[in-house]
Amino acid sequence: MLTGCSGGGGGSDSGNGSELTILIGSSGPAETKAVQDAADTWAADNDAKVKVIAADDLNQQLSQGFAGDDAPDLFYMAWDQFANYAGNGYLDTYAKDLKNAKDFYPSLVDTFTFDGDFVCAPKDFSTLGLIVNTDMWAAAGLTDADVPTDWDSLEAVAKKLTTGDTVGLSFGLEYARLGVFMNQAGGTLVDKDGTKATADSPENLAGLEYVQKLHDEGVLKFPSELDAGWGGEALGAGKAAMVIEGPWIKGIASDYPDTKWAAYELPAGPEGKSTFTFTNCWGIPANSDTRDAAVSLVEYLTSDDQQLAFADAFGVIPSTESAAASYAEKYPDYASFVASNDYAVSPVNFAGSASVVGDFNASLEGMASGNVDLKGILGTFQEQLQAALDEANG
Amino acid sequence: MSRGIRGNEARYGWAFTAPAILIIGVFLVLPILLALWVSFSDWNGLGSPLGNSEFVGGVNYAKVLVDSGLAQRDFGTSIRNNLYYVLLVVPLQTALALFLAVQVNRRMLRGRGFFRTAFYFPSVTSSIAITTIFIFLFTSSGAVNQVLGWLGVNGPNWFADPRGVLHLLLGGLGVDGSGAAAAGGPLGLSWWDWFAGPSVAMCVLIILAIFTTSGTFMLLFLAALQNVGAEIEEAAAVDGAGPFRTFFSVTLPMLKPTLFTVLTLGLIGTWQVFDQIYLTGRGAPAKTLLTPAFLAYDTSFSDLKWGQGAAISFILFGIIVALTLFQRWVLRDRDAGRAGRRREVRAVARLHRDAESVRAAGTAVPEAAASEGRER
Amino acid sequence: MSMTMHAGRRRLATIGLALSYVLLVALALIYIYPFLISISGSFKTDAEATQQPLSLLPATWTFAAYERLFTSVPLLQWAGNSLLITVIVTTGRVFFDSLAGYALSRLQFRGRAVVFACLVAVMAVPNVVLLIPRFLILKELGLYNSYAGMIVPIMIDAAGIFIMKQFFESIPVSVEEAARIDGAGVFRTFWTIVLPMAMPALVTLFILSFQGSWNEFAHFVVSRNDPDLNTLTTGVASLTSGQLGSGNQYPLQLAAAVLMSIPVAVLFFIFQRRIMSTSEGGEKG
Repeated sequence: MLTGCSGGGGGSDSGNGSELTILIGSSGPAETKAVQDAADTWAADNDAKVKVIAADDLNQQLSQGFAGDDAPDLFYMAWDQFANYAGNGYLDTYAKDLKNAKDFYPSLVDTFTFDGDFVCAPKDFSTLGLIVNTDMWAAAGLTDADVPTDWDSLEAVAKKLTTGDTVGLSFGLEYARLGVFMNQAGGTLVDKDGTKATADSPENLAGLEYVQKLHDEGVLKFPSELDAGWGGEALGAGKAAMVIEGPWIKGIASDYPDTKWAAYELPAGPEGKSTFTFTNCWGIPANSDTRDAAVSLVEYLTSDDQQLAFADAFGVIPSTESAAASYAEKYPDYASFVASNDYAVSPVNFAGSASVVGDFNASLEGMASGNVDLKGILGTFQEQLQAALDEANG
Repeated sequence: MSRGIRGNEARYGWAFTAPAILIIGVFLVLPILLALWVSFSDWNGLGSPLGNSEFVGGVNYAKVLVDSGLAQRDFGTSIRNNLYYVLLVVPLQTALALFLAVQVNRRMLRGRGFFRTAFYFPSVTSSIAITTIFIFLFTSSGAVNQVLGWLGVNGPNWFADPRGVLHLLLGGLGVDGSGAAAAGGPLGLSWWDWFAGPSVAMCVLIILAIFTTSGTFMLLFLAALQNVGAEIEEAAAVDGAGPFRTFFSVTLPMLKPTLFTVLTLGLIGTWQVFDQIYLTGRGAPAKTLLTPAFLAYDTSFSDLKWGQGAAISFILFGIIVALTLFQRWVLRDRDAGRAGRRREVRAVARLHRDAESVRAAGTAVPEAAASEGRER
Repeated sequence: MSMTMHAGRRRLATIGLALSYVLLVALALIYIYPFLISISGSFKTDAEATQQPLSLLPATWTFAAYERLFTSVPLLQWAGNSLLITVIVTTGRVFFDSLAGYALSRLQFRGRAVVFACLVAVMAVPNVVLLIPRFLILKELGLYNSYAGMIVPIMIDAAGIFIMKQFFESIPVSVEEAARIDGAGVFRTFWTIVLPMAMPALVTLFILSFQGSWNEFAHFVVSRNDPDLNTLTTGVASLTSGQLGSGNQYPLQLAAAVLMSIPVAVLFFIFQRRIMSTSEGGEKG
């Protein structure tokens, strides 16, 4: 009864008495706590309660939640599953009406647009960069002038950095990493109209062949070959001198506090610079009882101040252009990730693309253990992509 | 009076079985009917499948079985993977279990209790714990590769190696996937893909399955061996037969009923691999660990294609039933009666015999039933 | 002649036995060693567990993995859930299975044959086929993400009923009849006379049910997604399957695997006699 008088100055009271559950795919305790703190602040102003749940497996818990009529009121929606969810009518299309809808990076808005509508608000974004172990870099006699700017110089420094126990370069064996090389060679997966698959191209082949070449030379190893779960672990444990990862590399500090690193933009390929941008949005389930409260919470969470607070806590880059700019100023170590967003592209993403890309990833796994028919892989990828496109376009 | 007791009995009979009937009805029969509907519908996972979906005929089944595309290829791949798994696990686990049983059944052997315990212990631990241990053992710098290193063998990166064992062998002979082999085979895979053999990663799961089930089946064989123990020795003594001949011409035929049980349980269990796949990376490397059981789950829960996932479940069900019947037919008693009625009687008798060996083994067969679960 | 043959055979038997020993010891080592190095691995540092997986004693002992399990990982909550579910499921199975088994073996009622036939048919349905169906029904009944939904569907198993029925059929009927004539009711006869005689079968069922529900995994994957309802199996699986960023942490995973195996191992050693009794019986007989 007494708490009813929340009117005060702060915030709208659209949360009136509601209890919200947020499901997040957390990178660690820091992220979980930051989100909970932010949500609590909002809840205090809006007479609501918010419970933050960190998922073991976000995608699985989310899909089970929806199917079990028990979807969270607000959740991280990953870019690669977004189209699937939007296509199945799982998501509330709230973002176009947000007060700050115009502040987000256009590329991010594009990622979360389905059927012409801006569905959900981007939470943050990350781009891929080249992360270098600075101690190893110096030990190999390399300086700032040696930071690779093209494929040849990348290969050269990878060779220099490869020693007995350490491999020069490492990154995950998947489209989300190898794809940047395909793009740097001028390749694409889908044409501009989004109707024709273009995976089976000489450009894409050139990108894959470059990766294959580095691997054959022994200057590139995939994390699984290094007994590492992902690139960051390989870097942290000193098994790789360079990796291709995003700003989440910050997370290795807790396990490997002694590893010093620096991040640079990815070297350009024959057809110029390219990197991937990954993003999550704040998803709200369709027909949710708590929609209004959730939307109000999203507005709070995506405000510049709050996004910068998240950046402080766990290193993500704000999704609005103004906040990202202040972020780059405040964290020069991470400035390259912001800078590369100017030319970054989102990985292919339409309803049904996730399983096709999954299949492509599966066939790429052969690259670790020897000869694979890259041309054949791209051919299969092309067929499946086209089939999925046809289905998505009805 | 006696009518009263009988009437009472009927009441109690139903009352005693009511909980079982209720729970099995609600959580087994009803769900299957519901899922059957889903497999013929376009339900997208939202709301109740009753009322939020439309009948679409056999579309979901066709996507998996007939229409060429990713769904069919994935299904074909999972069938291929599981087929090799079954072909290797079932004979090997049966042979090893039988071998262990004969060894630890020897009277002259000291420390029998210790050996039995050692061989049986892996069977009681959970699939989750044991798979976790195996992942640790088989990393690229793991225990197994270190042992192989002593022998001068450079071990593969087991769980990350999608190369098919048969492909490796054929590659060694200079055969590759061109020519006739590249032609399309069933379910969207080329014949070359079908003949890949289990991947290196799958070999680890095969070892894992043999490791965890041989102890259980050993106990089954042990029980059977002890039931026939005295007879064998007599027969062998009279014959003056050597140990090998005794085994193959006397012991083995007497173990036939147990052999049936073990093979049936093995066959059913090996088509249900689920836990291990969930833990080792959801079918990775290169989908060579994908099994129909896991694919059904993943199609529904991750790809949100509920109808298709349910359809795969029912196809898997069909495969298991068909194979069990086929195996019964192959291993049928030669003297089985032709008349339907007689066959029925025999079927019941066989059932009872299986049950008999259940009981004879004390905990063992239910153990086996449990390990069937474990193999999921 | 026959004497030399005899001696020759005896020598052969001795050689055979020696060979058996070598083989069995080697095999036993293969069966046991993985468990031993898993235990020792859980006390090693991350680096040592990766680089020296074979050593039985850690070079540097550390309890870091266990500390983390009890602080930053909600292991106790998982264990609590596992325990609660196991206790209820085991009690339920032992009670309801023997009840139904008794009715099917002893009580005359119309429809008994049909019930039994259905039971046998049900036993043939493989568990993995039930994953999606069970999820659907739990959702339909509103039991998804609840203890009830995790427990009730697995509280009765047809195989258990089958075992009990078989056992009751092996008990002579005369004892019960005496009790009945004394005027004891059906349930009292069952509860005070028959059930105590069925102790061996009940112990078997207890072991099976305990082990089965403690180790159950797939059903808990599809019957909940709330982390608060994680059991040891689903919880440890989330540690092992390593979500993005968590990387390899063998000591932690091994420690969890070791801890979760303790209850079934204890059960195994308590009832080892019974489990292995098949063999001993044969010897004495």
